[in-house]
Amino acid sequence: MSLRRTAATRRNTGLLALAVATVVFILPFLFIFLTAVKTKQEAALLLFTWPEQWQLWQNLVDVVKTRNYMLLLAYFNSTVITAGAVALLVIFGAMVGYVLQRRPSGWNRLIYACVLIGLMVPPAVVPTIWVLQGLNLFKTIHGMILIQVAYGLAFSVLLYRGFISTIPRDLDEAAVIDGAKPWQVFFKVILPLLKPVTVTLVVVQSIAIFNDFTNPLYYLPGKDNVTVQLTLFNFQSQFQSQFNLLFMNILLVTIPPLLVFVFFNRQIVAGMTAGAVKG
Amino acid sequence: MKTKREETKKMKTIRLSAALATAIAVCAGMAQAEVTLSVTIDGNQDTINMMDALTAAYTAANPDVTFEIENRPGGAEGDNLVKTRLATGEAGDILQYNSGSLFQALNPAEQLADLSDIQSNVIDSFKPVVTAPDGTVRGVPFGSAMGGGIYYNKKIYAELGLSVPKTWDEFMANNEKIKAAGKVAVAQTYGDTWSSQLFVLADFYNVQAAEPGFAADYTANKAKYATSPAAMAGFQHLEDVFKAGYLNEDFGVAKFDDGVRMVATGEAAHYPMLTFALGNIKQNFPDNVNDVGFFAQPGPDAAKNGLTVWMPSALYVPASSENQDAAKAFLAFVASVEGCNIMIEANGATGPFLIKDCALPADVPASVADMLPYFQSEGMTAPALEFLSPIKGPALEQITVEVGSGIRPAAEAAALYDQDVEKQAKQLGLPNW
Repeated sequence: MSLRRTAATRRNTGLLALAVATVVFILPFLFIFLTAVKTKQEAALLLFTWPEQWQLWQNLVDVVKTRNYMLLLAYFNSTVITAGAVALLVIFGAMVGYVLQRRPSGWNRLIYACVLIGLMVPPAVVPTIWVLQGLNLFKTIHGMILIQVAYGLAFSVLLYRGFISTIPRDLDEAAVIDGAKPWQVFFKVILPLLKPVTVTLVVVQSIAIFNDFTNPLYYLPGKDNVTVQLTLFNFQSQFQSQFNLLFMNILLVTIPPLLVFVFFNRQIVAGMTAGAVKG
Repeated sequence: MKTKREETKKMKTIRLSAALATAIAVCAGMAQAEVTLSVTIDGNQDTINMMDALTAAYTAANPDVTFEIENRPGGAEGDNLVKTRLATGEAGDILQYNSGSLFQALNPAEQLADLSDIQSNVIDSFKPVVTAPDGTVRGVPFGSAMGGGIYYNKKIYAELGLSVPKTWDEFMANNEKIKAAGKVAVAQTYGDTWSSQLFVLADFYNVQAAEPGFAADYTANKAKYATSPAAMAGFQHLEDVFKAGYLNEDFGVAKFDDGVRMVATGEAAHYPMLTFALGNIKQNFPDNVNDVGFFAQPGPDAAKNGLTVWMPSALYVPASSENQDAAKAFLAFVASVEGCNIMIEANGATGPFLIKDCALPADVPASVADMLPYFQSEGMTAPALEFLSPIKGPALEQITVEVGSGIRPAAEAAALYDQDVEKQAKQLGLPNW
């Protein structure tokens, strides 16, 4: 009897959790989708209703064609920025984290303090632009990549350092005894072992960078440098918005991060917990 | 940067083929004379339409000038962005931005180029709102002037046999009849906080009618909202319509779009708003465009009823621009009768333009037709306070929401706003504060 009751309670809790998850995660998405297929007039009401008239293809074509296919260029730019920045974050984050964890020295405290400062102190916009202008990096895609790396590096160093402390030192020593040079120890022994945390980092950072709005807005002006989040401004303004196209754009912009998340979901959680065991 | 890259590409081609080289050299020679002007505008559909039409027409007449148009956000984010770009010298060649107090906040004397020599077609009333503290004019008008007042639904007015009110008491009497007929008398949309300021800001014609020197005294810290009965009336109006129960039920969360819908479709009889709402009505309720009329905010005296006017935004040339001459030539074109006609064609007439001899077409929508008589007779319009005085407190919209929701009495709110204004006046370094 009591066994059956616990089974029933369990099922009910499960159903409740599912219901809550539906409300929190699925409903907003459904709202975006339904608004995205409506006509301009119907979408302006912003109601959660079934569309009277389906305009999925029409809206899709309108959004893609807007301002001379700006969205496609934006996809390209965002992809380049995201891929470039994430690749550098992984390599540099792992290297710094490895050295910080494996080689205790007097400098470590200072370096660690710098990493924490990078995590906590908010960056100022105008001086950063001055630096970029001085280096001739302003308004360039690679300048934007470096900005994203600078902003994300502290987090990835912390993540890698935590994870590397769970890898036994014996592995390094065994490799050294077998005659491996330091760079071989890192690239051939340690880096492959970092796969779980790397996946976490790739997913978290690529979504953050892909979805970044303010940084490209300030650091990457120019018509050819548009990123996906900035295309939303084609349809939204203070006094007049085209909600059907705006939501269609949101839908299109949401898809790539969503795919990343769906495919790597399990690894993210695994990597997060793996890094969290030992600090 | 781009041309450099193109040139390196070209260098390679030259090495590859000598025959092609001559052709490319000719092209490169032509490219030298070409100018590409980068233009930054806000993302409003009307703005984009007008700028697209203007640049297309200008390029057709001057094939060597092409344009690169970039959208920027509006609101506070847009203000930050424009200031950042000006401070870093990256604002491009042409910049579209507000006139009046927001223009003053850009530090125009240093950041923007002097445009005094292309003002021959601009109506005089516009010049003060784009004049830097040193007396030089730094912008040309872009778009039409807007009125601040009250949209009303003509069907409800016809149904209940009402006439357009000339005094506030008549307005409230109309509201009473509308309420008695079971309809929403006044739509308010405090979900968009900025929309709550209209009763206060659009009342400025009446303030000025009662106290002609108010704007100057206000800037000089001699007149206050709390001590001037005429100025306080705006806050009082907000309180009155709330207390009488004339508002829509969801006034606290409704948005600007809802307000437009209510007055356009006859869900509500009145909606206090600036006339740019017409663009929204045209887009979302094209069938209702002629159901909506417009009148200036009524004051205490029917003989002194006039319209508070918002000046359009302006086009500026940043001082850091490398193509100032080409940019100025384009702005002179915008500020000509030809440019004005192109803007009317692109957007339809939403209000009067500030270019001399630029007439509106005969078939304007009803609410624009209602607005034009105010402009046609002398002294029936007054610029809003934000164009006469650099001071506008940042918290006005929060305060008006409080008054309009019955949280704070009008007198207390006026005094609070006077305090809010003080901070800004001190920041601007005005004398006597």
